[in-house]
Amino acid sequence: MRNTSWKSQLTSSLFVIPYLLLFVVFLLIPIGYGAWISLHNWDLLNPVHEFVGFKNYTKIFDSNSYLNELFFEGLKNTFQFVVYSVPLLVVVGLGLALLVNALPGKFKGFFRTVYFIPYSVSVSVVAIIWLWILDTNSGLINQYLQKMNLPLIPWLTDMPWAWISLAIATLWWTIGFNMVIFINALNDVSEELYEAGSLDGANRWQRFVHITLPSIKPTMLFVVITSTIASFNIYGQPYLMTRGGPGTSTKVLLMNIVDEAFKQRQLGNAAAMSLLMALIMIVISILQFRITNRKE
Amino acid sequence: MQKTPFKIFIVILAIIVGLIFIVPILWMLATSFKTDQEAFTAGLKWIPKVFTLENYQYSLAGNSDTPVLQWMGNSLFVGIIGTLIVLVVDTLAAYGLARLDVPFKKLLISIFIGSMTIPWVITFLPLYMEFNKFGLLDTYAVLILPYSANAFGVFLLYQYFRGFPKELEEAAFLDGANKWQVFVKIVLPSARPVIWTLAIFTFMGIYNDFLWPLVTTNSPEMRTITTGIAIMQQGSFVSSPGRLMALTSIATIPAVLLFIIGQRSFIKGVNQSGIK
Repeated sequence: MRNTSWKSQLTSSLFVIPYLLLFVVFLLIPIGYGAWISLHNWDLLNPVHEFVGFKNYTKIFDSNSYLNELFFEGLKNTFQFVVYSVPLLVVVGLGLALLVNALPGKFKGFFRTVYFIPYSVSVSVVAIIWLWILDTNSGLINQYLQKMNLPLIPWLTDMPWAWISLAIATLWWTIGFNMVIFINALNDVSEELYEAGSLDGANRWQRFVHITLPSIKPTMLFVVITSTIASFNIYGQPYLMTRGGPGTSTKVLLMNIVDEAFKQRQLGNAAAMSLLMALIMIVISILQFRITNRKE
Repeated sequence: MQKTPFKIFIVILAIIVGLIFIVPILWMLATSFKTDQEAFTAGLKWIPKVFTLENYQYSLAGNSDTPVLQWMGNSLFVGIIGTLIVLVVDTLAAYGLARLDVPFKKLLISIFIGSMTIPWVITFLPLYMEFNKFGLLDTYAVLILPYSANAFGVFLLYQYFRGFPKELEEAAFLDGANKWQVFVKIVLPSARPVIWTLAIFTFMGIYNDFLWPLVTTNSPEMRTITTGIAIMQQGSFVSSPGRLMALTSIATIPAVLLFIIGQRSFIKGVNQSGIK
């Protein structure tokens, strides 16, 4: 960059400073402050916060501490949701994109909009709508099952149905976003590759496996990582639909963190749990990135 | 190229899949016009036997604990103001970083982009404590300000400005315009589509956010519609599907309409954001 006068640099800085201030106050400082809180015995009601070093972290790994169960039970439940939902979010998202792309031109826009509509509503609307559809006695699905003389399904009160219900609601709500991203990626795959494939006698499936999939690999990675992060952050669906139940089997890690912070008022513990959760999320994202981009 | 039977099969498949997406919303609307007695009776009535508007009247009337219109107003207010703040600070910062001689430019760019990989859960509790310290919980500030730190918009616009041809700006500088004039008169108008995209992303993010407004507000008049109806669902409307569905419909219809209008820009924006 060419050297410029300090005056010019000053006026240029004015463009960045407003955002920089907000960035520092609402992102950088909270990160540091959170780490600081996690090193203290920080009771919300007690004005004195005793410094305890890494004790909150060691408690999480100490099987005698209730924090151990709180963290790892929650993590296990969150992991379950991630494992159930992410493959669906990716595969169904891609499937819908392929379906929309295969449609005759005039239908494309319409169905893309239809599949994308649920994305615009909020999680509480999603929860209320699906609670009413999955209700054991008056729910839409069970009423149809009853009509066909099939056994009723305890959608929200029994395992593994509770997870299935949460996955269905989440899929319905967010799949449109992944679909749109995949549609964009599919449109960028070069026509020439497909034509070359057809000339070589490749059928539809072979073209999909050998041309489409390799071409959209970066998008695939993006969707996998963002869906994993979103599924890790799940809160509203179990909070509103199953309230963590039956028992605590759908009580995800984020719910336990919020409870530890605002019900038990142990902010130090909750901050330590948040940091560990974030660390796990970062490690998983890096692993997903590495696995996809490894040399073959 | 494609054979007709295949095309017909695809269209039929698309319609069936479409029903899965639409039926839940139709069932919500159907229930919202039913009396609770009918709603609870099995019978799979898509058209209510007794068509009633009572649920809507009741939900909209609200009372001091459930001021539904106030919640809608709150959501619109924090969504619009929060979006405006993001648009102003993000366009300024992105232009500065993409084009102007800002000191430590490279460092700032990598910090901002790097910050997008930090899971949101890290800042959640300390942000709460920060607002608590300044006595700003349960205010509009806590519902608006935290969203402004997100670097996504800066990144999106930065990429756009980098690809924007320099000649127009240079011509304006030669004519004696200063940075601010170039930014307002030339750069901003050219970036309208991408700004519109960022606006939709941001507004929807704020409008639909759940956990943050849930824990940072507690008085009924400060709730957003998203948290408000969640509280109704667990509280006073728990045994009244009709009212709950009317309320949900009221909250849903504006969002869906806005979305259908804005989705083209949204989809274009996904394309521009380099997410591929």
